[in-house]
Amino acid sequence: MHPEKQKHGFEPKIIAFVCTWCTYAGADLAGTSRMQYPSNVRVLKFPCTGRIDPVFILKAFQQGADGVLVSGCHPGDCHYIAGNFHARRRFAAFRKLLEFIGVDLHRLQFSWVSAAEGGKWVEVVTDLTEKVRAMGPMNEFKELALEEQWSGSINTPELKEAYNQI
Amino acid sequence: MMQVIDTSIHAAVAEAIRREAQRLLSTGEVSAIVGYASARRTGAVQPIVINDADSAAQLVFTSASVNNLAVYLTTAKKEIPKTGKIGIVVKGCDLKALVGLMGEFQLKRENLYLIGVPCVGVLASTVQPAVELTSETIAPKCRECDAHLPTGCDFVPDVALPPMVPLETKYATEIARLEALTPAGRWAYWQEQFAKCIKCYACRQVCPFCFCEQCLCDRNKPQMVETTPRPSGNTAWHIVRAMHLAGRCAGCAECERACPMDIPLNLLNRKMAKELKELFEYEAGLEVNESGPLATFTDKDDQSFIK
Amino acid sequence: MSRIGVFVCHCGENISRTIDVERVAAEVGKLPGVALATDYKYMCSDPGQNLLKKAIQEQKLTHVVVAACSPRMHEKTFRKAVESAGLNPFLCEMANIREHCSWVHENREEATAKAIDIVGMMVERVKKNRILPAITVPVTKRSLVIGGGIAGIQAALDIADCGHEVILVEREPSIGGHMAQLSETFPTLDCSQCIMTPKMVDVANHPMIKLYTYSEIELVEGYIGNFQVTIKKNARSVDENKCTGCGVCMAKCPQKKIPNKFDQNIGMRTAIFVPFPQAVPNTPVIDRDNCTMFKTGKCGVCQKVCGPGAVDFEQQDRLVVEAVGAIVVATGFDLYSIAEKPKGSPIKGYGEFGHGKIPDVIDGMTFERLASASGPTGGKILRPSDGREPKQIVFIQCIGSRAREKGISYCSKVCCMYTAKHTMLYHHKVHDGQAYVFFMDARTPGKSYDEFWRRSIEEEEAVYIRGMVSRLYQKGDKIVVMGSDIAVGVQVEIEADMVVLATAVQPQKGADILAQKLGISYDKYHFYSEAHAKLRPVECATAGIYLAGACQGPKDIPETVSQASAAAAKVMTLFSKDQLEREPIVARVRDANCVACFACKKVCPYGAVEEKEIRDRQGNLVKVVAYVNPGVCGGCGTCQATCPSKSVELDGYTDEQIVAMIEAL
Repeated sequence: MHPEKQKHGFEPKIIAFVCTWCTYAGADLAGTSRMQYPSNVRVLKFPCTGRIDPVFILKAFQQGADGVLVSGCHPGDCHYIAGNFHARRRFAAFRKLLEFIGVDLHRLQFSWVSAAEGGKWVEVVTDLTEKVRAMGPMNEFKELALEEQWSGSINTPELKEAYNQI
Repeated sequence: MMQVIDTSIHAAVAEAIRREAQRLLSTGEVSAIVGYASARRTGAVQPIVINDADSAAQLVFTSASVNNLAVYLTTAKKEIPKTGKIGIVVKGCDLKALVGLMGEFQLKRENLYLIGVPCVGVLASTVQPAVELTSETIAPKCRECDAHLPTGCDFVPDVALPPMVPLETKYATEIARLEALTPAGRWAYWQEQFAKCIKCYACRQVCPFCFCEQCLCDRNKPQMVETTPRPSGNTAWHIVRAMHLAGRCAGCAECERACPMDIPLNLLNRKMAKELKELFEYEAGLEVNESGPLATFTDKDDQSFIK
Repeated sequence: MSRIGVFVCHCGENISRTIDVERVAAEVGKLPGVALATDYKYMCSDPGQNLLKKAIQEQKLTHVVVAACSPRMHEKTFRKAVESAGLNPFLCEMANIREHCSWVHENREEATAKAIDIVGMMVERVKKNRILPAITVPVTKRSLVIGGGIAGIQAALDIADCGHEVILVEREPSIGGHMAQLSETFPTLDCSQCIMTPKMVDVANHPMIKLYTYSEIELVEGYIGNFQVTIKKNARSVDENKCTGCGVCMAKCPQKKIPNKFDQNIGMRTAIFVPFPQAVPNTPVIDRDNCTMFKTGKCGVCQKVCGPGAVDFEQQDRLVVEAVGAIVVATGFDLYSIAEKPKGSPIKGYGEFGHGKIPDVIDGMTFERLASASGPTGGKILRPSDGREPKQIVFIQCIGSRAREKGISYCSKVCCMYTAKHTMLYHHKVHDGQAYVFFMDARTPGKSYDEFWRRSIEEEEAVYIRGMVSRLYQKGDKIVVMGSDIAVGVQVEIEADMVVLATAVQPQKGADILAQKLGISYDKYHFYSEAHAKLRPVECATAGIYLAGACQGPKDIPETVSQASAAAAKVMTLFSKDQLEREPIVARVRDANCVACFACKKVCPYGAVEEKEIRDRQGNLVKVVAYVNPGVCGGCGTCQATCPSKSVELDGYTDEQIVAMIEAL
C-alpha cells in the first residue's frame, strides 16, 4: 500500500524546542491533517520562545542531539507580546558563538511556524532531518562526554605511567 | 619592528592621583579609595584599598597597573564597605566595566568618585612587571584601545597624552583567522584551548560582570553545566561564560590575564562584541545604557537565519 | 519517592493503529518512579476518567501522565479529573502521542519507539512538577475612565449602568471632548450636540459616576484589580459645591477677548468661563493666565457678583487618591497642526501651505465650529480674516496623513468622510458657492459611507480633483491653490476664498507621558498599543487597563462607541468575580540568589517586575531584589531565560522540568 520506506543507516536525533501557542499548535495541525514527516523529532513545549535558554540547546547537543530546532510565533504574533523578539536577538547572538566554537550551524535551525502552518512544520522538520542525516552524527559533544581526560593531555611517558598507576 | 611606548606621563599621573586621594580622604569626601600600590616584586603593582589620607602616599600608577579595580565594587566582593562614597582609580577600559555595572543597577554613580587615568597602555600578563612597555610587551587589549582618556570622571589628572603609536591588532586578526577555518578546524582549536582548563574559575572571580550570588554553573538542581574539569564540562562552561558576557563585557581582558592556563578567553568575548556590533549596532562604551543589546529588541532585527 | 501513574490511550484506533500501546505501557512501566502503567481504549471518556481517578486513590499515585492527544485538546479535562481525585492538577501532564506521533507517522516500529520517548520524557518531567496552588487576586470593583470624550462617556455609562462605580477624569473644564465641537455628524447629518449633550447630562446625573473635570492623572500604582490612582484636581478658583451655574460672573467679567480653545480660537470667551453653554459640569473655571485679578491683584468682579460666594481666588491644586480595579484609557486625539514645528520634532510642518499663517487657511475642526449653530458665527460659514462668505472653497485631504516624508505614514481614516460632510454643509449654507476637494483616494468603508460620499459629488455638486496641492499662497484677498489633476493630467489653479485642510488625527499631547504613568506601551506616533492587533483589540498588554477610542488609533464615532462599550464589557467581565483567578504559571524570584541586576525587568513585556526591599527584623535594609507581581505576570518566561543566575523561575516550566526532559532523551 505504502511505498517501501527507505532504510537509512543513520537515524538522527532531532530535538525541537517550540512555543505552545504557534509552533506546537502548528504541529498539532499537521497531525489533525494527517501529514507525514520523519519520526526523528522529539518536541519540547515551552510557553514562549522567550523562555528558551541557550543553555538548553547546548544541553541538547550534549545529550546526543544531532540537530536542534527552535521554533515559535512569527514576529508580531507572540502571545506574550514580545517574547519571540527577545528570543530572536538571543539566538542571533548564540548561534554566532556556537559557530565560532566550531559547531556546524546546519545542525541548528530556527523557524517561525504559526498555528496555521502545519505544512510548514512538516517542511521544516523534514528538511532538518534530511540535512542532518546527510551530515551524519553530531559527534563533537558526544566524544567530549566520553572522554575521560584530565586537564592537560597526558602526553609524557612519566605522566602516562603515573596515570596508569592510579 | 619593536617600538618603545612613551610612558613618561605615569609619574605625573601618579602624583596627581596621590594629591587628589589625599584631598578626598582628608576632607572626608570619600570613605575609601581603591587604587594601585607597589607590590613586593620589582616593578609589580597590586590593588589596594586605603581609608586614610596618610595612606594616599602609597598610591602609584605604572604600566604594571593591570588590574580592573571595578571588580572590587561589585556585590560579589565583600571586602569594601558599601557605605559612603568610594573613590576608585580607573583606566578607560575599567571605566567601561563600571558603566556597565551602573546599567545593571549594581552601582550608583552618585556613590562613586571616579579618578580617571590617562593611560598609554599596560603590560601583557605574559611579561615581567619591570620590563619596558613596548609594542611587544603591551597587553593585547591595549592594542585596540579606544579609551586612552576616560570621560565623565570626577577627576582626571591634567596630563597630555603622548601621540599614540598605531599597533597591529591581535584579537581582530585572530578572530579573522579562526573565522576563516572550517567548523571542524575551529572546534579542534577550541578543544585544544578548553582542554587546558582546570576549572579554577579565576576568570569568573576576576570578572566585574560575574557578580551573581550563585553562578548558574554552580547549580545542581538542575545541573545545567557540568562542573568537573573534563572536556565536556569545560566546553560548556566557556560557552555559557561567553554567552552571559555577550553585550556586557567591555573588554578589560582580566579573564585572560587571570587564567593560569593561558586560554584566550577574551577572544570569545571580543568575538561576541564584534557580532553584537554588527547585528545590533551595540558597543559597550562610556555611557550608561538603559538596556544591553540582549535585553531589548527592535521589530527590524535580523532574522535572515530564521526559516 | 514518586508513584507515577501512566495511562496510555488508544483513542479508539487513532493511536493504537500505528502505536503498540501495550508495548509503550510496558516499556514506560520500567522507568524508575512509575508505579502503574496501563492502557485504555478512551481515556477521555467517563469510564476512562474514572479509571484514572480510581487508580490515583487506590494506588496512591503522586503524579499522572496521560499519553493521548494534544494537551491543547484534553489537558484541562485530565487535570480536572486529577483534581477531583485529590491531586493538585499541575501534577498531571499529557504526552502527545496522537497529533505528534500516531497521526504523522506510518511505520509502527518507529512510531512506537517515538511514543516511548515522548511518554518517557513526560514521566521525567512530571517528577519535577510541583504543587501549584491557584492564584487569586482581589478585585476592587470600581473603575477609572481617563478622558471625557464620547469614548470615555460611553465606557463610563456602560460600566456605571452595570452597577459599578466609575471615576471619570477629564483634563478640560467640561466633558464632551471633540464630539461636542462637531457641527453635524456623518453619514446621517444629525447634530452632534443633540446626540451628545443628553449623554453628558446622563454622566453628570449618574449616581455611580464620580466626575473629576479640570483634573489630570498624577500617578498610577498597583496592578489589575488593585490600582491606586492619584488625581490632580487643578484649581478652578470656583467652588463646585457652591456654584449654581447662573453665569452672572461670566457676563460681568471685563476680560472678554480671550480666544476660546473650544471654538478653535476663532470665538472669544471671558477669563472666568465655561468652554461652551452646554458644559458639564456647568461650573466655570478662572483662566488664571488671563484673569486681571491674578495678573494685577485688582478686579475681583466675579467674586463680587457671585451670589453664593463660590469664587475662590485662593483655591489650590488638590491631590485625590482613588482605589480602582480597572482603568479605561480614552484620551482621544488631537489634530496635526500645520504651524511650524518646534525644533527636534520628527514631524515636519507644511511650509508650502503657509505654516498656518494665512488666516483663511483653516483646519477641519475650525470649519466644524464655523458650521455649528452654536459656534462663533452662529452657523454661518464666514472667513476668519474679514467675515465675508467664501464663494469658492477648497478642501485638501491627507494633510499630514499618509505622508511619510512629513513624518506620518498612517491614514487618519475619518477625513474622507468629514470632508464629504463639509462640502455638503457648505453647499447647504452657501447655495451659490462652489466646493473643490483635492484628494488622493476616497476611503469610505463603513455602513452608508460610500453612498454619503457619492451624494456629496452627485447631489451636492462638490468637485473632486484627484491630485495633491503643491502650493498655496495669498494673492490679494484670495488664496491661490496650485495643484494637479492626475485623472486628466493637467495643472489646476483655483482662486479660493477659503481653504480647509483635512489635517491628520494624532494622539493627544502628553499621551506618552500618561502611558509611562500607566505602564502601557505606545507606538512611535504615541498611539496606545493594544495587547493583540486582532484578538485583543481593546486590552492593553498591562492587565487591567483597556483602551477606547482614538487614543489607540484614528477612529470615527461609531467605532469609538463600539470600542468603548467593548472596553466596558471587559471591565464588567473582570468585575463579575470578587477574586480574579489565574493559572498559576507565573514567574517567581528566589530572593536569596537575586542580585538585582533587573535584566528581568528590562525584558518583561508586562511590566510585572518590581523592586522589593528585604529588611531584617530591626527594619534595616538587607538588600533589594526583583519581585514578580503574580497578578500582572503573563507567564512567558522571558525573564528566566534572560536572568544570568536563573534567580527567577517560571512555575510549570522550571529549568529542572526542562532539563529532566532533555536528559530523558
